Amino acid sequence: MILVLRTDATRPQIDHVIERVTELGFEPRVITGEFRTIVALIGDDNAPGVEKLEAIPGVENVHRILKPFKLASREFHKPDTVVQVGQVKIGAGHLAMIAGPCAVESAGGLDRIASHVKKAGANILRGGAFKPRTSPYAFQGMGEDGLKILRDVGDKHGMPVVTEVMDTRQVPLVQKWADMFQIGARNMQNFDLLKEVGQARKPVLLKRGMSATVKDLLMSAEYVLAEGNPDVVLCERGVRGFEDSTRNTLDLSAVPNVKGQSHLPIIVDPSHATGRPDLIPSMAMAAVAAKADGVHIEVHDCPEKALSDGPQALLPDQYASLMADLRKLAEVLGRAIDR
Amino acid sequence: MILVIRPDATDAQIAHVIERIEELGFRPHVSRGTERTIIGVIGDERKPQVEAFAAIPGVEQVHHILKPFKLASREFRKPDSVVKVGKVRVGGGHLAMIAGPCAVESADGLDRIASHVKAAGANILRGGAFKPRTSPYAFQGMGEEGLRILRDVGDKYDMPVVTEVMDPRQVALVERWADMFQIGARNMQNFDLLKEVGQARKPVLLKRGMSATVKDLLMSAEYVLAGGNPHVVLCERGVRTFEDSTRNMLDMSAVPNVKGQSHLPIIVDPSHATGRPDLIPSMAKASVAAGADGVHVEVHDCPEKALSDGPQALLPEQFARLMTEVRKLVAAVGATVD
Repeated sequence: MILVLRTDATRPQIDHVIERVTELGFEPRVITGEFRTIVALIGDDNAPGVEKLEAIPGVENVHRILKPFKLASREFHKPDTVVQVGQVKIGAGHLAMIAGPCAVESAGGLDRIASHVKKAGANILRGGAFKPRTSPYAFQGMGEDGLKILRDVGDKHGMPVVTEVMDTRQVPLVQKWADMFQIGARNMQNFDLLKEVGQARKPVLLKRGMSATVKDLLMSAEYVLAEGNPDVVLCERGVRGFEDSTRNTLDLSAVPNVKGQSHLPIIVDPSHATGRPDLIPSMAMAAVAAKADGVHIEVHDCPEKALSDGPQALLPDQYASLMADLRKLAEVLGRAIDR
Repeated sequence: MILVIRPDATDAQIAHVIERIEELGFRPHVSRGTERTIIGVIGDERKPQVEAFAAIPGVEQVHHILKPFKLASREFRKPDSVVKVGKVRVGGGHLAMIAGPCAVESADGLDRIASHVKAAGANILRGGAFKPRTSPYAFQGMGEEGLRILRDVGDKYDMPVVTEVMDPRQVALVERWADMFQIGARNMQNFDLLKEVGQARKPVLLKRGMSATVKDLLMSAEYVLAGGNPHVVLCERGVRTFEDSTRNMLDMSAVPNVKGQSHLPIIVDPSHATGRPDLIPSMAKASVAAGADGVHVEVHDCPEKALSDGPQALLPEQFARLMTEVRKLVAAVGATVD
């Protein structure tokens, strides 16, 4: 860690800084420049108490050298992690093709959509039973009934299932019925929820918060890993920007950005990122070309009757034609889509 | 256009709104709902006076139905425009592979870099002679001498050249030496400059401003088109957000977003968008997969000695490797590189 001292720091202030950092177990190296003094600290950047260094009088800013996450980092684990969801592998060249409606609305409806996406080549079925809706008056999901339907339909079509868990109290219930937890963007920093799924034994799909940096996302993954659950798949789903013609702004560079720093798989959700069916296929293609470990796409056979997020759903035939293109692309790039 | 009237608007206010609409030559169509009244305004809403509608007492919101750009729109021209830069086609399935250093620094240096990027498969050479630098103390470019070097080196390697024009007074000079004007992100809304290149006859590479929406970008293109120059290529180069590990945030969805609304070609500049050589190759490949009409990549053979933007430049061998991978994708998406 490097402490940059204020230009007007006094000698007693500098001595005090050195005393404090030594007290915290660091070995200080003082570098006196023409205009500034900087203090390099040798020791663990992640030790408790280091945040307080910025509060010492005379310190202008603190630069960390080590990454604040450890278990999620490439240094900790060199090879790409492969997360297994049911029989489906995600990571290290295996692509997750997650598809399904935004919400489970009925057994018949989910069954129809699942048969379409399965036929098109999707390998994981999604569907929300607990729905985080911006409006308290909007459809909040079918709850446990929805989970049971999701399980039944997944089993019928031979697909593992992923669904969102919103509350720490729902974790055992969701674990009972689903193959993978989804932590939604709004809960990316719900730390108690992260700890709770960290103690569960099913894999976690962790979506990036809509104003979270890539580092914030990796810190949230670290919460899950630190509790003992190593099976985390990250998901870029767009962040808030000023652009008003799309629902969010897809930060596709998060894919290589994460991959450089972390061994965890990362997939892309172009449905939430753009909110526009006309943009979803191009962004799904771009995601696979950028080496994402899969894509997550909402599909509905009657978007105008969907109880949530209808306008951003692809129709089954649009999804099938996209999957045909994605398969060609995956082949050119030497990647596999498990069935 | 649709006007949504405030719930507390009086009948007198509504009558006044209708009067103003008719005065401006529009036909009003009033719908009274249970909670709100809305007025459909029939006529060409691109009249200059329509912006004033929002100011009429009783009007809460104004919704435009028509796009504010016309010449740049798909409705105006259905097929993809193909812009020719020297002999190189851009658009309609033909990809621009623009590469070169951020700035022209010397004849030898540019010659070396050009020979590398040409061998790797680039088809347009870039290099700045006028540099818009954040700091007034940073290298500002070689000016006219840089333009001459760029022309000579481009001719030697048979590559058309693109370079930035920053000021209306430089337009004639840049048009004399270059094959394509670049309007930089910081000048995307320098309207006098847009009008000036709109009257020139060479094509224009128009970069998206760092806080411009896609609509703003298309409106700037409209300035050039309205001036009489139909040869505009758009460029997505990242926008400003909170993410602090990259220079900007590449808004890849701008590519299909533009293509849905406009016939103009759009390329992607992953160098400025990410500012990081480790992210540039993935983003260049993703651009081609997203349907972009090309990529713009900065290359330098000694980034640590570059006079500007060295840290984001690819080395010649990194660029060559990227081009090999891009060629595979180009074939897969059925495009061609002249």
